[in-house]
Amino acid sequence: MEVELKISAPILLPRDIIVIVGSYGSGKSEVAVNLARHLQLSQTEPVSIADLDIVNPYFRSREAIKVLNKLKVRSIVPEGGQFYADLPIILPSIKGAIENKQGKLILDVGGDDAGAKVLSSLTDAFRPDGYDMLMVINANRPFTSNMAGCIKMMNQIEAASRLKFTGLISNTHLMEHTTSETIELGLKLCGEVSGETSLPVRFVSAEQRVISTMNIEQIGHPVLVLDRLLLKPWEKPGQT
Amino acid sequence: MTKVLMKGNEAIAEAAIKAGCRAYFCYPITPQSEVAEYMAKRMPEVDGVFLQGESEVGVGNMLFGAAATGRRVFSTSSSPGISLMQESISYMAGAQLPVVLVNIMRGGPGLGGILPAQSDYFQSVKGGGHGDYRLLVLAPSTIQEAVDLMMLSFHLADKYRNPVMMIGDGMIGQMMEPVEFPDKYEEPPLPDKPWALTGAAGRKAQVVKSLFLDPIMLEKNSWLLHEKYEQMKLNETRFELYKVNPKNEILIISYGTMARICQTAIDELEEHGISVGLFRPVSLFPFPEQQLLKAATQKGVKAVLTVEMSTAQMHEDVQRIVMGKTPTEFFGRTGGVVPSPQEVIDQVMGLLDKYPGKKKAQHSASKSKKAQGK
Repeated sequence: MEVELKISAPILLPRDIIVIVGSYGSGKSEVAVNLARHLQLSQTEPVSIADLDIVNPYFRSREAIKVLNKLKVRSIVPEGGQFYADLPIILPSIKGAIENKQGKLILDVGGDDAGAKVLSSLTDAFRPDGYDMLMVINANRPFTSNMAGCIKMMNQIEAASRLKFTGLISNTHLMEHTTSETIELGLKLCGEVSGETSLPVRFVSAEQRVISTMNIEQIGHPVLVLDRLLLKPWEKPGQT
Repeated sequence: MTKVLMKGNEAIAEAAIKAGCRAYFCYPITPQSEVAEYMAKRMPEVDGVFLQGESEVGVGNMLFGAAATGRRVFSTSSSPGISLMQESISYMAGAQLPVVLVNIMRGGPGLGGILPAQSDYFQSVKGGGHGDYRLLVLAPSTIQEAVDLMMLSFHLADKYRNPVMMIGDGMIGQMMEPVEFPDKYEEPPLPDKPWALTGAAGRKAQVVKSLFLDPIMLEKNSWLLHEKYEQMKLNETRFELYKVNPKNEILIISYGTMARICQTAIDELEEHGISVGLFRPVSLFPFPEQQLLKAATQKGVKAVLTVEMSTAQMHEDVQRIVMGKTPTEFFGRTGGVVPSPQEVIDQVMGLLDKYPGKKKAQHSASKSKKAQGK
């Protein structure tokens, strides 16, 4: 993993608050926890991650809490029985973390405009130039498989969140069936969306297994190597 | 057609549309609400109807009315919602109406929790509502299988004029996997629907009902239903075997995603030289009884282990079918707790200790000797 990170261009996220949004099932949580890990290992500022997913009951970033704790990433998640709830719980500590930020803060937001709506209740806490809001795009998801679908969802998310996009993340995959062609398909779509919106592709995320078969220079964007942390009960780490 | 990445709930919804369903009624409940969200987006695109009921009781009656027109109708819910629909399910079975239902099961009883469970086996397989009726019950273990069984459910509902229910634990609804859909759902020819209420112009008015005040007529209807269930037993048993072979020391019986956890355990046990087979019923009613009995009574099998996310519901059927010819044991977690592959391995190792047979294997796969079965 270290080798790949060295030859890929560095992921540039100069702003301290990184808001991860997208259609549900686009892979936001997996990207968010891997980004938290990457930032923790690649720079000196402290890293926090807040699970703001209030629409999805399973496979949320909070499930990777053990791995993140071990890396000393601060996780802001509901505790006790509320950990498992699908209630619209917005912890006061999240607003506090946005206002009094310490180092990097990653917000893992729920899917679609329904999931992004939670951000509108926090808008006052954001400074206009203080955050990056990144759209995770998976071209294999039904409602974001073409440019029109992506733009429509991005407009809905901006309207619901009252925040503005500053970049894209290409996260096209088919789980264990992902190949280099899958990644290329996603890059093509992200290129089109980038051309239409003038938003830069901040990075491409993919598993080591696939990235190692590709020419990093041809990808043309920084690469976040994913180590799957949100697993199904029958999957083993590093197995896919 | 190419593969797409879908959440189980979305895939179930799309499969229903592919099977020709244009009428969907639902009241949202975790962990199946994405079916309704997807249908809200997709039904207008295909000239279909999605109506949200005021409760699952209302939804059940909407289904009854819509099914009486002979069109393909559908609803999804999760455990407490399915409980609320039981009255109309019994009515639809009594009135011989084809309808397709999906239960994405969560932990119960009562309001319970929102995490995965398989504790609605009795409710699905043994009735749930009142009267002499059965549902045809199917249980997928992957999203692709959920798609395939979903489309098949509509066919079987029409074929038998009976409600068909597909059940999956919460993970089937929530997890994402790549799936493929056929461009067009191909199915064998089905009989016409002369019973359907399509407007009485040019013919005598007819009634669809489950009310038979004359006991002889009611009894006749119940035996007619019974005959259909016997036909299902002959024609519709479905199951899958995984690594079932003459070397098996233990046979695991498990369905749905729980079976996949057992597969991971079986693979690991195999690496330690311990041969375990998996019998996975796909149809829970009709249950593949003869096939299970055959696998359970293979010569080397020392014990049969049922693994469920419940406190031993399917296990009662396993005991009934195996009839003591092989020892039957149970392991389960419930309430939303999903057993790990290691827990299943520990159970198998415990059984090999309990039923040593001729030669005792080296038990290096066991991390904890403590039996965790309840």
